[in-house]
Amino acid sequence: MEEFYLVAAFLFVLFLLLGTGVWVGLALFGVAFLGLEMFTSRPAGDAMLTRIWTGSSSWTLTALPMFIWMGEILFRSRLSEDMFRGLSPWMQRLPGGLVHVNIVGCTLFAAVSGSSAATLTTVGKMSIPELRKRGYPEYMVIGTLTGAATLGLMIPPSLTLIVYGVAVEQSITRLFVAGILPGIVLAALFMAYVAGWSFLRPSEVPKITERMSFAEKMRESRFLIPVILLILTVIGSMYLGFATATEAAAIGVIGALALAAAQGSLTRQTFISSLLGATRTSAMIALILMGAVALTLSMGFTGLPRALAEFIESLGLSKFSLLVALMLFYILLGMFLDGISSVVLTMAIVQPMVVNAGIDLIWFGIFIVIVVEMAQITPPIGFNLFVMQGLTNHQMGYIATTALPLFLIMVLMTFLIIAFPELATYLPDNMRNARG
Amino acid sequence: MERFERIRAPLDALYRWAGYLAAVFLVMILALVSLQMLARWSGQIFAGAPDFTGYCMAAASFFAMPYALNKGNHIRVSLLLGALGRHRFWAELWCWAVASALTVLFAWYAVKLTRESHLFNDISQGQDAWPIWIPQMSMAAGTVLLAVCAIDNLVTLLVRGRDNIRPSTTGAGAMEE
Repeated sequence: MEEFYLVAAFLFVLFLLLGTGVWVGLALFGVAFLGLEMFTSRPAGDAMLTRIWTGSSSWTLTALPMFIWMGEILFRSRLSEDMFRGLSPWMQRLPGGLVHVNIVGCTLFAAVSGSSAATLTTVGKMSIPELRKRGYPEYMVIGTLTGAATLGLMIPPSLTLIVYGVAVEQSITRLFVAGILPGIVLAALFMAYVAGWSFLRPSEVPKITERMSFAEKMRESRFLIPVILLILTVIGSMYLGFATATEAAAIGVIGALALAAAQGSLTRQTFISSLLGATRTSAMIALILMGAVALTLSMGFTGLPRALAEFIESLGLSKFSLLVALMLFYILLGMFLDGISSVVLTMAIVQPMVVNAGIDLIWFGIFIVIVVEMAQITPPIGFNLFVMQGLTNHQMGYIATTALPLFLIMVLMTFLIIAFPELATYLPDNMRNARG
Repeated sequence: MERFERIRAPLDALYRWAGYLAAVFLVMILALVSLQMLARWSGQIFAGAPDFTGYCMAAASFFAMPYALNKGNHIRVSLLLGALGRHRFWAELWCWAVASALTVLFAWYAVKLTRESHLFNDISQGQDAWPIWIPQMSMAAGTVLLAVCAIDNLVTLLVRGRDNIRPSTTGAGAMEE
């Protein structure tokens, strides 16, 4: 019984610190320290720092700043303009017209950046004004963009997947490869939604005026082709086993620098600001990870993860109901926490539970990313909602409503990968492994 | 008060330069990883490279932490802070007080670990076989600076009524998810 009070006190302090606005990484660190002091006689600080040092000087983690840097470089390049110009000739004949540019643009940018905020800004900067000008209804423009930008978390490189991989000690490369198919399927479902809208409300779809030959289309998208080649190189080198995730990221940074230089958008100024932006963001994530490493150590001593895993097992839940319960839990958590924080915060507890239930950790990584994606567009703390608000000055509630259909599609996607786990496991099971 | 204002600029510069140093380590990661790749493709072995890359990663993280804190990049749950309106000061005071205490704790044990590595002359387990206290210096220095930065913000909040963090105007580039 005494244990119970200790655990309750432990969780209370955790939520108190997080809830009052203490920086997530520091809050985790503090709770971990407290937990070790309460539950063990070991010197808490020394044990934690040893773990933190090992964790933060790990080679696997270096993929994180590299991919962030790659995204930062391209974010500052002319990609935003090129994206709209290059994609629109191909999209205008599809049912639903240029709204598809939002989705395909997000998918493409998601493949060079691990961040949904950067994806949203880059695609939206150009496509929102252009789509408005052509008379597309506001709710479609805003909704599809807000929803599709979450693909940034799923399609490799994905920062959330790197953090997840480091937290549960799974191969980042395999996680990335696992994200490819579900990402494409999700993008296809979003496009199906746009097509469905155009059939149901044909009067809302503006008429297309221009006609272009194939050669003209190619000419319009000539600036986009190098970006697509870069994406294929980065993802392909991982899939074919030429490079590990970190190495693919280094290739990506060099490729992005070359691309920006070729466009003439690589100045001293943009180089330095992309580098400093990447430095700050990766330090931000590193601090959360350090807190998480300490918390995992501490959680182990509380016995909470094991007790909870045993409790769940004793309930005799089916895999399906466990996953649905976890989905609801993460949506709830995601209303208050960002994706990366909610993944690292819960992994210490959820991992034993999931492994106990016989769920593959690579597959679970993809599952959790979809669920965390949903949280990006749910109020009150949906990260994409904030970014969108900054971009368009719409009310948060309005943006969330426009994105609701896409939220429901993501729920559908969650059930799809539960029903067809091969979506996430086929590619990683059939890829060639790189050394190291 | 005036003396207080006079140390503002040097402190901000200190955090910024630590950030620049971290950026240098980030570039070193890129260089090391690229060299390692080239070495492997040409059939050579670059012994110890993964360890050095790891040390650079740690240095890049630790040195940039105070810089990111002072710039407001670290993630927090701002729901309550936003809801408090004019009473926000008290919540901020609580946050900075907690942050100061925790970062001091963090720095204390980081320095202790580094000192012990030095005293017992611990050698890295990897192929580099370096004395581990050398790369650990980045952790000691970075966390001490982080504590300085937190206390600095706490004091600034008390004296001036607000901390050093200014909302960034650069947009989403800096607020990665």
